[in-house]
Amino acid sequence: MKKLAFIIFLYVFVLCVSSTNARPVSYPNGWTVMMSNNGDYNSVHVHYTPTIDYSIGFRSEYRRENEVFLNAIQLNTLVKRWNKANSQANFYIKSGAGIAYSDHGKYQSETEAAGFTGIALDWEDRDYFTSFENRFLHTGELGHSYMQSARVGFTPYVGEYGDLHTWLMLEVEHEPTAQNPLTYKPLIRLFKDVHLAELGMNNHGEVTFNWVIRY
Amino acid sequence: MTILKNIFAILSLVIALTMLAPTFALANTPSKVIVQVNGLVCDFCARALEKVFSKQEEVNTIDVNLDTKNIMIEFNDNQTIAEEKIKELITNSGYDVVKVSYE
Repeated sequence: MKKLAFIIFLYVFVLCVSSTNARPVSYPNGWTVMMSNNGDYNSVHVHYTPTIDYSIGFRSEYRRENEVFLNAIQLNTLVKRWNKANSQANFYIKSGAGIAYSDHGKYQSETEAAGFTGIALDWEDRDYFTSFENRFLHTGELGHSYMQSARVGFTPYVGEYGDLHTWLMLEVEHEPTAQNPLTYKPLIRLFKDVHLAELGMNNHGEVTFNWVIRY
Repeated sequence: MTILKNIFAILSLVIALTMLAPTFALANTPSKVIVQVNGLVCDFCARALEKVFSKQEEVNTIDVNLDTKNIMIEFNDNQTIAEEKIKELITNSGYDVVKVSYE
């Protein structure tokens, strides 16, 4: 019973901390746990990377506005990587298919097939960072949503390998069907070793906390 | 009798060389390699290199220099990894190899 309670606690904890803009494909045979929590949703995405070209995993997401609970298999594909002497850029496609559930409002334990797809682009050097991503989510009778977000960031100091790295970023998110369609979010990204964390707050006072760990 | 002496001498030489050959080979085994790569800008992403190379039994330590874009791989005593294999491991980790220098 204690074990079950611990597993439930761990699952809830994981959903209450949150997915992030960190790269969705790791290294061969690497596992990654990505968690996100913001004003719109809580999510956890666990994926395995067989080769540098793609990763496959499981995504669980709870969307607050319509109380939709989404569980899906997610495939992330690295379409193209540009390695330059002092910078790197990436282009990914992230798609998933699964089941959405809701008993919110008119829905009585409604279960629907669900799917989503989107692209993610990023570019960074040792001083600056920029990214863009979008996602179209369809959850059958439970509705659909589209979101897009962009980030710019810089580091106040250039850390060496092994240091604690700090980045200051600004994220602009646009989700036409959300209660707050346009949000601006300053955030701080910290990473060291295989751990990455982000903390921010948008212009509506909603807190974001993201955490990524790679194994 | 002379022929037998000569055969014995040749056999002795062959055996001696066979025994000494590994010693010469080991003496020439490089102890480390420095690889210059493109795309090396992020510590969090570069952890991939550490993870991948630490799984190779020939590798003692790996050090990443984000300033010079160099990866220094130090091998265990009398062990090494061929250049093609190193290139393959780095490419599979998501980076492009520019130059490989054994030391």
